[in-house]
Amino acid sequence: MSIILDKINYSYNNGTAYEKQALRDINLVINDGEFIGLIGHTGSGKSTLIQHLNGLIKASSGNIYYNGADIYDKDYKMKDLRSKVGLVFQYPEHQLFETTVFKDICFGPKNLKLDPLEVDLRAYEAMKLVGLGEDMLDVSPFELSGGQKRRVAIAGVLAMKPDILILDEPTAGLDPRGRDEILDQIEKLHRETKITVILVSHSMEDVAKYVDRIIVMNKGEVFFDDEKRKVFANYKQLEEIGLAAPQVTYVMNELKKHGASVDTKAITVHEAKEDIMRWIKGERR
Amino acid sequence: MIRDITIGQYYPVESKLHSLDPRVKLVCTIFYILSLFLFNNYYGYLVAGVFLIFVIAQSKVPVSFIFRGLKAVIMLLLVTVVFNLFLTPGEPIWQFGILKISEEGIHFAVKMAIRLIFLIIGSSLMTFTTTPNHLTDGLERLLGPLKKIKVPVHEISMMMSIALRFIPILLEETDKIMKAQMARGADFENGNMIDRAKNLVPLLVPLFVSAFRRANDLAMAMEARCYNGGEGRTKMKPLKYHKNDYVAYMIFIFYIAIIFVIRMVL
Repeated sequence: MSIILDKINYSYNNGTAYEKQALRDINLVINDGEFIGLIGHTGSGKSTLIQHLNGLIKASSGNIYYNGADIYDKDYKMKDLRSKVGLVFQYPEHQLFETTVFKDICFGPKNLKLDPLEVDLRAYEAMKLVGLGEDMLDVSPFELSGGQKRRVAIAGVLAMKPDILILDEPTAGLDPRGRDEILDQIEKLHRETKITVILVSHSMEDVAKYVDRIIVMNKGEVFFDDEKRKVFANYKQLEEIGLAAPQVTYVMNELKKHGASVDTKAITVHEAKEDIMRWIKGERR
Repeated sequence: MIRDITIGQYYPVESKLHSLDPRVKLVCTIFYILSLFLFNNYYGYLVAGVFLIFVIAQSKVPVSFIFRGLKAVIMLLLVTVVFNLFLTPGEPIWQFGILKISEEGIHFAVKMAIRLIFLIIGSSLMTFTTTPNHLTDGLERLLGPLKKIKVPVHEISMMMSIALRFIPILLEETDKIMKAQMARGADFENGNMIDRAKNLVPLLVPLFVSAFRRANDLAMAMEARCYNGGEGRTKMKPLKYHKNDYVAYMIFIFYIAIIFVIRMVL
């Protein structure tokens, strides 16, 4: 059970003055149960890449295999793929259209032609997963706050029970509390259901805190693809392509430069705190 | 899919045609279209065609790009040709039941087709080589005199440039929402007419919501910058005729003169 991308190339506006190659020879393997962070500068091809994973964009050349089946095969049912690979777009609240929150969440499972009872059940479950209370059921999605709208939109994708959940900057434009709540819920979901999650993000802190593996995109190519600590250890190279390491990593590096015997591998505030405490206690002894 | 329509798009290259004053291009396009209806023999089409080829060469827009625009109106062309072919009265040279083709019909259909093709290419050349902002700028200046009879020229051209500006944005938005709904299993391609119309609801509702939101934001941003209509408003880049613009006018007048000669003499 995995997605394999084999030499994927893609260019926008083929054959016109606006032609632009967005992806260059992408080779990736995405395994079951992984929590992956996808980072890269604006225009590095992240959004284009994730739209390939559920067949919304067809590669100019190359192959994609989902669980061993070629998705560009003539007989392959794209609809099945899209129900298995759930994609939450940037600002997903802009896609809400129904009269009530519940109906909107039902849209996805209904399109899968499930029986109505199952549709309702899944919608309830999805609402619970994203932390929407039952008092929200019959509210119009257009009356909600930004953060709540986003939960509704994410629930709309979760209700399809995907095996892989891709989120394109799910926290853009949210306040810090809303951001943490949504990411915590996704983390919990990943832990409890072993769903594969791909998180596109601009926040190195979020990526450092939640994911295991990081894929770095630059100018349409995969720049790094490794365990998160190993990726952030190359922060000098990340800076060159307009990215950075989490802020605490810089603090740790500076401390070390000033003679403190701390571990520069720390990437979250919590890790850094533990390490600094260990160092201070060691000094005293 | 939606992106294949090239009519009305701007094609960014540098050419003599691109750098002309938009007023020149507007005036010449209008009179070129009128000129197509001035003559009724093949010599006229030859001259108009040669002139068009000359302009295309000057524009540096690839020919393939221009013809892609024609694809979108091929149905219209076909219908016109078929109707003219069969419905022009005259001596029939071929007959099948009530369908008959006359020599006049053939001539008329061919002429009509050429006229339409020239008309479409001619007017799309203007949009290929002129940015929407320039175009409305030119229009505002050309219609300037109408202000004297209380026509809100500035407001009209502002509305036009906003409308033109929003076309690519709304296209992109449509594309995005379409994809988002397809990711939720929506199907925009299959099913009968009624199903398809129903399936458009998840696309159209968010699209309208976003159009209103954008309009609101824009109005707010304009007010925040003290926009209050055309009264006393100056331009950062006022339109001014240059040498090339006069040359272009001369060439065009020369073309019109030939067309008139053909109309009078032949």
